[in-house]
Parts: sequence; C-alpha cells; structure tokens
Amino acid sequence: MPNEPYSSVDSTFIHLLGGPVVSLKRYLIVRNIVIFWMTCVILAAFLLPIPKINILEHTARNLYFHVPMWFTMMAAVFVSAWHSFQVLKTGDLVPDIRALQAARVGAFFGILGLLTGIVWSKFTWYVGTDVWWNFDPRQSMVSLQLLIYGAYFVLRSALDDPDKRARISAVYNLFSATTTPFLLYVIPRQMESLHPGAEGNPAFSEITHPVMRLVFYPAIIGFIGLFWVVYSQRVRVALLKYRVTRDPEL
Amino acid sequence: MINILTLLPPSLGQLLQDAQDAASGSVATAYDSVWAGAAVPIQEMSGLEDVMLSDDKIFVVLAVVLIIWVGIVILLLRNDARLKEVERSVEERISAFDDGL
Repeated sequence: MPNEPYSSVDSTFIHLLGGPVVSLKRYLIVRNIVIFWMTCVILAAFLLPIPKINILEHTARNLYFHVPMWFTMMAAVFVSAWHSFQVLKTGDLVPDIRALQAARVGAFFGILGLLTGIVWSKFTWYVGTDVWWNFDPRQSMVSLQLLIYGAYFVLRSALDDPDKRARISAVYNLFSATTTPFLLYVIPRQMESLHPGAEGNPAFSEITHPVMRLVFYPAIIGFIGLFWVVYSQRVRVALLKYRVTRDPEL
Repeated sequence: MINILTLLPPSLGQLLQDAQDAASGSVATAYDSVWAGAAVPIQEMSGLEDVMLSDDKIFVVLAVVLIIWVGIVILLLRNDARLKEVERSVEERISAFDDGL
C-alpha cells in the first residue's frame, strides 16, 4: 500500500492515492434528482386511489415503503460485495471504505424493513392477538442475515491494521453477500409465510394492481437512490477521517 | 394480558387505575370535566378541514410524512454543506503540513 496521502479536493473531485474517488458533481446531480423523485413518490403513494382489500385496507400502501427497504438492502449488498471483490483484486483501501459503508447503510435499511414489517403485521394479520413477532420465515431469515452482517462489523473492529482488515473482512463480506439472496428470497419462499410468493400464496405479480405498481417501482428506484446519497456522504466522511488519522474506519 | 396495575405499589396502582377509569369515562374527574363541559364547536368545516378529514383522514398522515421528509432533506443538505467546508479546511491545513515535511 503506497503511503502517500490523497492529493486534493477541487470543485468536482476528491482525489485519493493519485486517482479521483468521489465525483462531487455527479453526487450533487443524483442527490437533487433523488430528492425531487422521492417527493413525487410520497405524494403519489398517498394521493392515488388503491383497491380496497380486506384486512389490509389503507395499509396496502405500506407496499410503497416497507418492500423497497428490502430491495435497497439487496442493492447495498451487491455494492458492498462488488467493492470487497475489488479489494481482493487490487489490494486498495478505497474499495474497502466503500464496502464497509455500503454494508452499514444496507444493514440500516434492513433494520427499518424489519421494524416496519413488525408494525404492519401487528395491525393487520395479528390484530386481536398479542403477537408482534410470530416467526414468519422471512422475518426470521432476515434477522439471521442482519446478524451475519453484525459479525462483519465486529470482525472489522477486531483488526487494527487497515490493510490486513481490508483483506480479511473482504473475504468474510463476500460470504455474507452470498447468503443474502438465499435468506431473503429463496428459503422464505419454500415455507409458509404471510409474504407473497411463499408456499401456497400467490406471487406478487399475480395480485398487485397496476396502479400500485405505478408507485411501487419508482419507490424502489427512489429508495435505492436515497441509499446511494447517504452511502456517498459516509464515504466522504471516511475519506476525511483517513486523511486526518490514516485510518478510514467509520 | 397480565394486568400490570396489580404488580405496582398500591398508591401508584390506584393513581393509574383512576387515570384509566377517567380515560374510559366511567368516573368523572377534574381533568376531563374541562372537556366534557366544553361545548362542542359546531360550525361549518373550513376548507382545510374539509380536505384533511376526508378519505379516512389520510391527508393528515400525508402531512406528517411530508414534514418528516422535508426534515430529512434539510438534514442531508446541511450535512453536505458542512462536509464540503471540512473537506476544504482539512485539505488546506494538511497539504501545507505535508509540503513542510
């Protein structure tokens, strides 16, 4: 690892170790589009009429907010795994910064998805019971996945040398990324669950009204964009920390 | 559900019991007489109320969510502004330091 500092911040780029790392111009454009886009999504989510369904009623609108949390977490896992792969390929420190921050923000969205799911199910399917958590396979598997990512953060905190930490945690991060699609999508579909597409349940594509898709798909794009904004901010803070302390861990 | 009131010390339990009775309307207390005695305002719904109370009051939720969203956006923008400031000042100071080595 070359021991040179990052060279400069000009009006459009942050440079590290001789190469541009963050494009501030692209960041600003994406950020402003995401803000406008998400405002439209929120308005549409509440203002467009939806079909009335028993049990769900207005809570069907949670589709626009709860479900994109999982798509966002999945996207974050891809970003994180990609950069961990780059760490192993090149040995650079910058992809390690990106892998960690993507995993952190992704896990945050996962926790939001879990909490919103708990509230949603309590006041629909579990109404009239004292049940908040019923070991729905999807909830259980997702909790397991979040624990796997928790171990990633703990592993990192146990290693002091930045280069060694980058390599070892990249290997583990590729493992946690590999388990994600199975725990989020494959296994829950084989078991009885409240979620669409599970054993005996119709798939999402069979039951969802076109009006709801009109908001749902843009909501996924918007939340993934929001992830990207927060993730980029954290990468910039990590670069600053690296610049000052020579250790980018954040 | 276990009645949590039975687990508390008697005086506190009584206090909570009173509050619960008052809330369910079985016992009148000084707290709710203000509301019970007050005349319910009977007037034409204003334009805003007309909108906010329609459709199962969903627009109230929309208003709340929009306030939260605007707050998050302001937070993002302020973070960016501060980040830029710190990036600049760190760069100025550390560059000078590196040059001195």
